[in-house]
Amino acid sequence: MSQTENLLKRLPNDIGGLPAEPIQRVDHELEPWEKRCHALADVLDFHKILNTEEKRRGVEALGSEMIGKLTYYERWIAAFANILFQKGILTPTELARKMDEVAARWGDEPPHPPA
Amino acid sequence: MSQHEHDHPHAEIGQSERPGYYDMMETAVRELLIEKGLFEAGEIRRQIEVLDSRTPALGAKVVARAWVDADFRARLLANGRTACEELGISFYDDTKLKPYRARAVSEPRAVLAEFGTHIPDDVEVRVSDSTALVRYLVLPRRPDGTAGYSEEQLAGLVTRDAMIGVIPVTAGEAGVSR
Repeated sequence: MSQTENLLKRLPNDIGGLPAEPIQRVDHELEPWEKRCHALADVLDFHKILNTEEKRRGVEALGSEMIGKLTYYERWIAAFANILFQKGILTPTELARKMDEVAARWGDEPPHPPA
Repeated sequence: MSQHEHDHPHAEIGQSERPGYYDMMETAVRELLIEKGLFEAGEIRRQIEVLDSRTPALGAKVVARAWVDADFRARLLANGRTACEELGISFYDDTKLKPYRARAVSEPRAVLAEFGTHIPDDVEVRVSDSTALVRYLVLPRRPDGTAGYSEEQLAGLVTRDAMIGVIPVTAGEAGVSR
């Protein structure tokens, strides 16, 4: 099988059977923001804004590099943002401004000039 | 107490460190959606309470009930979701990390050995992988020597690892309920 054929047949999450490192038995206590992110997913699903299937596709659409490097909930929030942009519910500019506003609460200078 | 310590008061727990990039992204997305009236802040708070109430102890309750109630066991194996809902339970967490997901299907015996579980060659191993929409609970075998245990004592023996099927349940310390 050619290299590119494999890319078509295996999406980034489809890792069953691939070689991998030894199992590390860690009990991962969710960070507060991770728990909020999980709650956000449930609330978005409940309001029929974004369902589990869209979330799965949104995560796969991040591509294998991001899937490999981002943590579980980092992938979720990145996928949510992209899906909300696609649905026209949020714009990238809105999100960038809001993130500046959140960062400013911690004393950061805004990296983007005010609108 | 020194002057130094007065100059650097301890921040409140949960607010002590500047949040990371994705933490701020979550806050920004959530606040924007609330501002647009798509849902209310209280819904997130209530859902966090629901998430906090989900622990492996809920699954242990399901397993113990299945051991003492054959009818429940049959309903559980026929339809896990509705049987769990009988006990007021709706959801289980899964094992998400890459090495586990990649290797469990091709070398389950080696993966189980890393959990300290050595499966004899004459025992068949079946691997069930979760999808975005489907979760599995492994109904472990009830350990020997637990005939006189109460349902609550039995539940105290069942761990998360037993419910993902990587270790057996053992009678251990006389069924102290946790």
